[in-house]
Amino acid sequence: MLEGASFAVRCGEIVTLEGPSGCGKTTLLRVLGSLIDAEEGSVRLDGVDARTLPPRTYRTRVAYVSQEPPMLEGSVLENVSLGPRLRGATMREGAAAALLGRVGLEGFGPRVARDLSGGEKQRVALARALANDPGVLLLDEPTSALDPAAAARVLELVRDVAATGLAVVVVTHTAEHAASLLGTRYRVEQGRVRLRKGAP
Amino acid sequence: MTYVEVSLPRLVAALGLIAVAIVLSWQLGLGLGRSLVWGAIRAGVQLVAIGYFLLFLFGHESPPFVFGVLAVMLSVAALTSARRIEHVPGRRSLAPHALASIALGGLIALVPVFAFIVRPSPWFEARYLVPISGMILSNAMNVVAQVFERVFSMARTERASIEQRLALGASPRQAMEPQVRAAVRAALIPTINGLFTVGLVALPGMMTGQILSGTSPEQAVRYQLVIVYQLVAVAAVSGAMAALFARRILFTPREQLRDG
Repeated sequence: MLEGASFAVRCGEIVTLEGPSGCGKTTLLRVLGSLIDAEEGSVRLDGVDARTLPPRTYRTRVAYVSQEPPMLEGSVLENVSLGPRLRGATMREGAAAALLGRVGLEGFGPRVARDLSGGEKQRVALARALANDPGVLLLDEPTSALDPAAAARVLELVRDVAATGLAVVVVTHTAEHAASLLGTRYRVEQGRVRLRKGAP
Repeated sequence: MTYVEVSLPRLVAALGLIAVAIVLSWQLGLGLGRSLVWGAIRAGVQLVAIGYFLLFLFGHESPPFVFGVLAVMLSVAALTSARRIEHVPGRRSLAPHALASIALGGLIALVPVFAFIVRPSPWFEARYLVPISGMILSNAMNVVAQVFERVFSMARTERASIEQRLALGASPRQAMEPQVRAAVRAALIPTINGLFTVGLVALPGMMTGQILSGTSPEQAVRYQLVIVYQLVAVAAVSGAMAALFARRILFTPREQLRDG
């Protein structure tokens, strides 16, 4: 159950939602990603109620990357260009390669996405989400399955992405990772979920 | 042409074949003895009953009666294909969707054949309409059940991939395309295998029956070919319809994947 979950995130800002497993962080992020609806309350994008927007339009503007994001069948390049292809647009190979470069995966395009390591998959998922040129990025536990070095790379990437003007919401149960993102931190409390601004 | 009659004592002797299975079940500890006995009795009773019913039907042929029988067959097929399907969101009944899928597939496979190819006289002649429709509806029933079972099951096991596609801006159709394709393909495989092996692995029941009852093999083969092609059409149409309905059930109006 989510209650009193009210917060805002602005362009270029990182918001972290912290709390133990099962406290409702992922549910909240899924509501923000329009994968489920809240029974009450609303999500507003640029002041507009998300429920008044066509779901596909909303989801291309608000990118959601799940915990341990699944790689879809095919190459890394096919994964990265999926969002534009779903809309009937073509993504230039150069643009996809540039995105891969941005997440530190130069030359990974032809590789089979499902054969990559956890950290590489996380970065492909990030590039895939960015291919839609969203304004908001929602990340569910982006570092949970990664070793410290891979986690540090992903966190650095998240900071870089926010620096380009995206609003970023990151769910994590690791306070250290939340702190390293240098954003606004909220704690999601067990039971009736409430958001409390401030470091846990 | 005559055929060899099966007398009642000889029919009872055929039960020895069931006895073989019962003995094997007992020896191997399969625990199927009771089911085998009950199944043999049920099969006997059902077939004798349908035999008498068909006799009655052929003697009182009229469009309402024949179509009443077809409606009962369609309803039973729909209820059967909708039964025991797990992971249906909201535990809603699939029967109306199964009915529509089987009915549309059946219409497409049956109407042109009875209108232009087999052409019974009178047009509602039960001797043709009932057994041929039975074969077609039965195949549709199995295909629809398989499509439902697979689509709902995959929507659960592959939820992460489906939602990932949705999150990237996919429509429900695009989000479930791999799962729907896999489900319909799998459901069509037995029918397609039947096309490849018909006459090689097994002589189909209808053709065998016609030959045994004195129809020329050439005509029996023609009938069977028509049936085989009908089976393919009904499987494709009913399977595709069932997939379409399953997808509709799985998504909310706001294009969110429901819990199954």
